[in-house]
Order: sequence, then structure tokens, then C-alpha cells
Amino acid sequence: MAFGQKFKLINMAKKTFVVGCFDDEEVLFPAVKKTRLAGYKIHDIYTPFPVHGLDHAMGLRETSLHTAGFIYALCGTSTALGSISWILTKDWPLNFGGKPHFALPAWIPITFELTVLFSAVGMVLSFCYLCQMAPFVKKHHFHERATDDLFVMVIETTGKTNIDELKGFLSNNGAKEVNVQVAEPGWWLGRYDKDQELIREQVEVA
Amino acid sequence: MHLKYESQLREPLVYGDKTYHQVTEDIVRPIEAKPTKLWYVGFFIAVALLMFGVYSVYREVTYGIGQWNLNKTIGWGWDITNFVWWVGIGHAGTLISAILLLFRQGWRTGVNRAAEAMTIFAVMCAGQFPIFHMGRVWMAFFVLPYPNTRGPLWTNFNSPLLWDVFAISTYFTVSLLFWYSGLLPDFATIRDRAKTKLRKYLYGVAAFGWTGSTKHWQRHESLSLVLAGLSTPLVLSVHTIVSFDFATSVIPGWHTTIFPPYFVAGAVFSGFAMVQSLMLILRKVFGMEDYITLGHIEAMNKVIVLTGSIVGCAYLTELFMGWYSQNKYEGYTFWYSRANLFSPYGWSYWGMMACNVISPQIFWFRKMRRNLFVTFFMSVIVNIGMWFERFVIIVTSLYRDYLPSSWSVYYSPTPWEMGFYLGTFGLFFTCFFLFAKYFPVIAVAEIKYVLKTSGESFKDGMDNIEEKGSEEFAHEYAH
Amino acid sequence: MASIREQFEIPAKMKTWAYGLIGAGVLAFILGLFTKEHNEFIGTIMYNSLYWMLICNASMFFICATTLAMGGWQVAFRRVPEAISKMVLIFGPIAFLVLIYIVFVDHNHHIYHWLSDEAKEDPILKGKLGFLNPVFFLVWTVLAIGLWALLGARMRKLSAEADDAALRGEEPGKSFIWRNTVTASLFIVWFALTVGSTVPWLWMMSIDAHWYSTMYSWYTFASSFVSGMSLIALFVIYLKNKGYLEYTNQEHLHDIGKFMFAFSIFWTYLWFSQYMLIWYANIPEETVYFKHRVQGPYKGIFFLNLIINFVCPILILMTRSAKRNYTLITFMAVMIIFGHWIDFYQMIMGSIRKDDAALSWFDFGIAAFFIGMIILFTGKALASRPLVPKYHPFLKESIIHHT
Repeated sequence: MAFGQKFKLINMAKKTFVVGCFDDEEVLFPAVKKTRLAGYKIHDIYTPFPVHGLDHAMGLRETSLHTAGFIYALCGTSTALGSISWILTKDWPLNFGGKPHFALPAWIPITFELTVLFSAVGMVLSFCYLCQMAPFVKKHHFHERATDDLFVMVIETTGKTNIDELKGFLSNNGAKEVNVQVAEPGWWLGRYDKDQELIREQVEVA
Repeated sequence: MHLKYESQLREPLVYGDKTYHQVTEDIVRPIEAKPTKLWYVGFFIAVALLMFGVYSVYREVTYGIGQWNLNKTIGWGWDITNFVWWVGIGHAGTLISAILLLFRQGWRTGVNRAAEAMTIFAVMCAGQFPIFHMGRVWMAFFVLPYPNTRGPLWTNFNSPLLWDVFAISTYFTVSLLFWYSGLLPDFATIRDRAKTKLRKYLYGVAAFGWTGSTKHWQRHESLSLVLAGLSTPLVLSVHTIVSFDFATSVIPGWHTTIFPPYFVAGAVFSGFAMVQSLMLILRKVFGMEDYITLGHIEAMNKVIVLTGSIVGCAYLTELFMGWYSQNKYEGYTFWYSRANLFSPYGWSYWGMMACNVISPQIFWFRKMRRNLFVTFFMSVIVNIGMWFERFVIIVTSLYRDYLPSSWSVYYSPTPWEMGFYLGTFGLFFTCFFLFAKYFPVIAVAEIKYVLKTSGESFKDGMDNIEEKGSEEFAHEYAH
Repeated sequence: MASIREQFEIPAKMKTWAYGLIGAGVLAFILGLFTKEHNEFIGTIMYNSLYWMLICNASMFFICATTLAMGGWQVAFRRVPEAISKMVLIFGPIAFLVLIYIVFVDHNHHIYHWLSDEAKEDPILKGKLGFLNPVFFLVWTVLAIGLWALLGARMRKLSAEADDAALRGEEPGKSFIWRNTVTASLFIVWFALTVGSTVPWLWMMSIDAHWYSTMYSWYTFASSFVSGMSLIALFVIYLKNKGYLEYTNQEHLHDIGKFMFAFSIFWTYLWFSQYMLIWYANIPEETVYFKHRVQGPYKGIFFLNLIINFVCPILILMTRSAKRNYTLITFMAVMIIFGHWIDFYQMIMGSIRKDDAALSWFDFGIAAFFIGMIILFTGKALASRPLVPKYHPFLKESIIHHT
């Protein structure tokens, strides 16, 4: 429980999930639609490659990561222009080749580079933060072939869910493999070559 | 869900009857297998070259720049030539990933990963030259802008050399981020099928806990697209700024306004040639003929003939302006120092012309573009030619300046100068061999993404779509 | 299954507008002939005829470049740039007559200083006369315009095959693509040898006969290409609004928008490179070009040029939704065409009339003539054949194109 004490971060309870694995995205799409119509809550779908339109099918909202990127870019631009103009006109003005102290054309290259740098670094860090990704981060994987050739739809259950019915529903809609897993939905620090969990005791499922 | 269709007239990007799982198998297998003897041989040659380079640099650091044959007016010689050469090579990766992504060239998926890796290694090699050219390399941190012990005296932000510091380091960082973010899903693939504990642990760390969640993919796509959008002007800016190192001066042959775009075209040209050389070896050694197809090679050869011709257009433009300007210094540089075969360095100009402009024209012929031997030979020739180009620009403009009394003696490099260059080959190939062994050399997830559109067996199944009239087709599938 | 409207019928309103604009242009021409100073008069006609010809020719460059890149996405609206490129058949001769008038009839050495007798004694100019002489000027101008028109016509003729069901199937399709590739590469090579190098030097840069910049031609190309893309966008949107081009949608518009955005930045990049290098090196023979443009009477136009052609596109066209918005793209396309028209104004008039910058009714009047001509004849060209190349092998890819 060493990790548990230190990182009480996300979900402190395990949940029960019904997992349906599809081997073809063309079967997956209608299944997603029907699952949502039937009122089940899709926890997530894990796919080996980006499947276009799946986010819309699941009803996810658009990401605003690129807007963040634009804001970081503006920070880079203003940092560069602000610092250079302060340094070369106020802090220590020097005559370089007879050019005016405020030599704007000569600052464009660095300004551009810092714009790109801030934007790229900021976006990658935001991406890692939003997706909760970092070295040594571990998450529960519902199927190890989700990064190979399976499209894994994970449905979150509540106390009222009829699990057997749901399993049948998934099979009828083309899932090649259906199972039930009790798992932590969040992340914890751990190693992939060891079985480690954040919460060891089984949570009672009513 | 969009219809997976492309015209059957296009060559498949993936040959054979592949499934998603087969793609994973094909690409990940070399990582899981023991390295071949050939790999060891290559790797040790690379390390040996690297060691020689380290020794050459050791001599330069301990005894000083005098270990090189740079002289009074030729203050930049092999080192800066090599710097520009490597930076140029480091342009194709980002170009393939970014610009071809924006231009929707589907074939980029087969080659982008290795090309990006090559970019990063080439930029690493490039960086060595200006750093060690400083002489007192332990003072290299002086290029960083910070208020320091020299009083609050800052670096010169108006200097193109400082622009270079920013450009190269930004380019390296952004390329690394772009490359690594693309690698995350593929590392996860290796992690999830790893049989040994060590592999599971290492790739587990490297994959950052990637799961393949749809939300993550959505953000990942947004990230890739914006990084591609940022990298496109970035890649232009980097070689542009390298060209500014020369073009902001008043030296004939350096100060010409066409330099920025022409350097960029040259960089793409040499970068593609290097990708071509490496790809031909990779596909052979790892048996990746199904993924790096003749179609890919032909497409790259088209880019080579295009950029080679752009570069040729720029050479001729400069040569023309050398005359048209009626400026005798310009004229002297272009028509005597360079274009005259019998001037001291005339050989390098004509070597450049032969390798970069004349010989790539054989790629106008489809047969030549699809001939592996010719392609490999030409890819090496182009890289030699692009080395000549930088040598021509640097040395022929420097060896005779405005004042005949300070014209310099003939410049030829010392063994340690050449050793440094060979050493960067060692560094480059050491990195590349390690990459080829431990990293997926082809982007697994991206191949899967295009598989059902461009895979051979799937395309064969599109007969019924292909037979439909356009109105019927539009009625059924248009969104 | 509803059938598409593949035959464009010219609306009466379009004709009215075209004739109105042409009429205004002719009126401006006649008034200008009597009221304007001669060099301003001829210079205005010159930059307008060059600009409008080059942006129409840019359409053919777009077709050939996408053909060589094996692009499929543009096929649904490909007939639009084809129709625009047909304008070269009309604007080519007009520009040719204007240039020939300047060199041979008017012998205007105020515009082309190298025509004067002094040039034969000027130590710099006399060395350039091998390139800057009336005979070479004539030959090269004929060749340039003639081959653009000829190769363009060949591309359009090839395209007509795509209206014929005989193109279906693998063999005819492959041969069609192949023949397109060959002609397209011929066009591109000729384009590089003319627009990409010699022609802007000869026609435009030589107005400042002493001055030179190796970047000049690529800069001119970028300027005309980005406005050419905008012109394509305008016609595509017009046809969409009239209910044609059923297969073209926001996805295609998005990609046209990307071209407008990317090449605006590319133009700025070339602009900056040329300007910064000359500013930085500060060699008097070179800075003379920018002196009166940046610090003299052209100051306002110089910065306006930069705002319209760089600041506006980068801020407005950056987002995805902007590039998919018909109104915004229309607005930006008009803006960009106007912006680069200003750019050509300052490139040519800035050299002909160094001490006075005045965009007047006359500039707009002459522009109206060319715009009217484009509306009239592009409309006719569009109506002359089906709007969709029905049997083009890549049409289906274009139909399902998504960004």
C-alpha cells in the first residue's frame, strides 16, 4: 500500500466494467451507436490507431488543445520581443553595425523560434497532463491487444446494471470477446513488469 | 465512419494480405529478435568511427584550432561546411512528417519514423561543429543569454550566429517532441506484447502509460497536427537562419537574397537523398519491402528531382545575377572563383553542378526512379554534391576577398579536421543502428490507419466501388 | 438519385456586372488618356495587365502542381481553375501588346531606363544590354506567354477526355494520368524558367535597371500564386452559391483555405528574407530600392501591403472553422487579391513614380476592366463544358475527401 498512502489522487474505489472486444472498426461503429441508445455509459474505447469519427460517435467534445497551443505561442512571441527589446534598448544598448537600437527586423528570427518553442513544449506538456501520461505511470489495461488489433469498448456499470444482459448485448452487436473486470479507472505509479495496484482490496459490488 | 476508398490506379502503400496483427508482427519482430551479425558488424564500425572522431576532437580541444588547416581568410572551412551539410540532412524528417502531412501525401506513413529519427541524429551531429569550432569549448555556455558575471552584458541578439543557437536548439527540441509523441503508441504496442520482464519494464516506462483511449487519440491527433503545422515554418526557418549566417554579410557569393529559400530547397534535397540511402538499406536488412515499396522510393525520387531542379534554378539565378549585376566582385566570385573549372576551387563548383543539378535529371524517367541500384547510387551522389555546395559557398567566397594582398593559400584539411567529420558519421550511425534495433522503424499505428484504404488486398476488394458511376457513388457515400 | 447540374448557365446578373465593370474600365481608360500623366497612365495599365494575367496563369500552375503530386482532392472543382486559366488566352495578348507598346512604340525609357541612349554609355547598364534589349525582350515575351497559353490549352484539352465514358477502366485511366503528368511537368518546367526566374526580371525588375535581387522572381511568383488561389476560391464559392458543384463542399474549401493561408505566410517569408537581408547588409546600391518605399511617399502602401497580406491572413485564416466558412473565405479572398494588387502596384509604380504614390480612381478603373473581363470570360469558359470531369479516375476520391 506504499503508493496508496502517498498518492490519493483520483478514484479511490474500484469499479466494475463490462468489456467488449471488436476486431473490426466497421462493426464497432454501429455497436457504439446502439450502446449509447440503450443508455449504457461508455467508459472509454481503446483502439490501436486513431479511428476517425469515433470521438464523435462516442459524443466526446472537441479538444481545445490547439487553443492552448495558440496561447503558448503568444507567450513565446511576447517573451522574445519583450526581453530582447528591453535588453537592447534599456538594459544595455549597444551599437551593432550602426543599426538602430530598436532593430526589429533582426529580432524576428529569434521571436519566431521562441514562438514555436513555447507552443510546442507547452502543448506537449499539456497533452501529457490532460492524458495523465508520464514515465512510470501505470494504468489498468482492459485488454493487452488493444494496442495491437482489438477495439476494446469498456462500459461502466452501476449497481442497477444487469451485467449478463449487457454481455449478451455486446456479443449480439459483434463483440468477439466479452468479459467483466473490476478495475481502477485512474492511474498510479508503477511498473509494467509487476502486478501493482493502487487499491488492493476488492470493492464490494452490489 | 468514412468510407475506406482510394482509386485503384494508385499503387498500394502496403503490399500483401495484411491484417492489423500482421502489421504489428512485421514491424515489431526485429526489435524482439536478437540482432543479426550484420547489425553487430555495422554497429562496431560506427562506434570505431565515433572513437576516431572523439580522438580528433580531443586533439582539437587540447591543442586548439591550429589542429585544423583554417587560415587567415578561410576562417570557416570543413567544420562549417559539415555543420551546414548535417543540418541540411536534418530537414527531410520534419519535411516528410509535416509538409507531406499537410499536402496529404499518403506515402509518408512508410518512411516518416525513420526519417524523423534521422533528422534528430543529423541535428545532433550538426551541433558538434559550431560548438567545437568555438575553440574553448568549455566556454560554450557563453552563447546562452543570461545576465552574467561579465556585468549584465548580454549576447548579441542581432547576430545571425545567435539566431542559429535559437534555431537549432528549437528545431532539435521540437523534432524530438514530435518524434517521441508519435512513438508513444508504438512503444505501448511493444510493451503490451513483451515477453521478457526487462522489455516490459523499459517500454512501459517509455510509453508513459499509453492506453489507446479514444480521448487520448483525439488529443494526440490534435497535437500531431499542430506540431506539424508548427514544424512546417520551423523547418523553413532553420535553414533560412543558417543561410542568414552568410547572406547578412557583404561578401560576394554570400550576400544574395535568394539564399533563404534556396538553402531550404537544398536541405530538403540532401535530406531526401539521405532518407533514400537509409531506407534502401533498412527495407533490405529488415525485409520491409511490403511497407517501403517501390512506390515510396519513386515518390522520394520525384521529390529529389524537384528539389534538385529548384536548387539548379537558384544556382543559375545566382550565376546570372553575378553577370547581370555588373558588380565586378560578384562577377569575379561567380564567374572566376566558382564557374571557372581551372580556378583553384573550380573543381568543387563543377562537382556540385554535376552531382546536384545534372545527374538527378535522370529521375525524369520512370524506369530510373524505380531502379534500386540507380536510386542508391544517386542518393549517395546527391549527398556528395550537397557537401560540395556548402564547400563552394564557404571556401570560394572566402579565399579571395576584396584585398588581393590578403588572398589566402590553398586550403586543404588536416587528418583531424577530416577525423572530426568521420566521427560525426560514427555518431550518426551509432544512433541509427541503436534506433533500428530498439525502436519501431515504421510507425505501426499510422500504417494501420491507412491499411484498409491503401493496403493491396483491401484495394483489390474495391472493384465494386470502382465500377460505380460517379453520381451513384456520390449518392451513396458523400457526406 | 438526383442528377447533378453539370452545365453552368451564365446568369444575367453576372453578365450585367461584367459589362458594367468593363464599361467602367473603358471609361477610366478614356478619361485617363486625357487627364493622367503619360507614365502614370501607361504604368497603371502595365501593372494591371501583368498582375491579372499572372494570377490567372497561377490557376494552371495549381492544376499542374496538383497533377504532379498525384492529388485527388481537387478534381471535384478542377474545372474552375481550368476556366480561369483560359484567361491567359485573352490577358496574354493584352499584356503582350502593352509591353510591346512600351518598348517598341512608346520607346519609354522612363519606364525601361535601358531603352535610353544613356544606357549605352552607363558603365553598369551597357554591360546588361545583352539581356535587356528590345529583341530579346520581344522573343522571350512571345515565348513565355505563348507557351503558357499552348501548354495550358493542352492540359485543358486532356481534361476534356474526362467527360467521356471511354475513360473508365484501368488502362485508359492510367494512360490518362500519365499523359496529364507529362504535359503538367512540361508546364511546370516552363513556368520555372519564366515566372520562377527570367520573366519578372525582364518585365518588372528591369524598371530599376541598376538594381537587382535574386529573390525577386520567387517573390513575384508567391505573390501571384496566393492571389490565384484566392481567385479560385471566389469562383468555387460563387458556383456553390448558385447551386452548382454538388461534389465540392467545406472539405475542399478547407484545403483551398489552407493554400491561401500557407502561401500568405510563404509570401511573407520571402518578403522578410529579401527585405531583411538588404536592410541588414545596408549596401547603398541595394537599399535604394526600399528607401522611398519604406521612408518616402510609399510608406503607407508599403505597410498596408504587409498588414493585408500577412497580418490579416495569419490571424483570420488560422482556425479550422474560418477555413470552412464560405463568407469568411470570400472576404479573405477579396482581401488577398486586393492586397497583392497593391503589392504589384508598389513593385511597379513604386519604381516608375518614385516621388509620388497616389492610388486613384484610375487604378481602380483599370482594375475594374480586368475584373470585368475575368467575370465575363471565365463565366463563358465555365459554361462551355461540364463543371465536373465525370470520368476522372480520382473524382471519387475527391467526392469523399475529408480533411
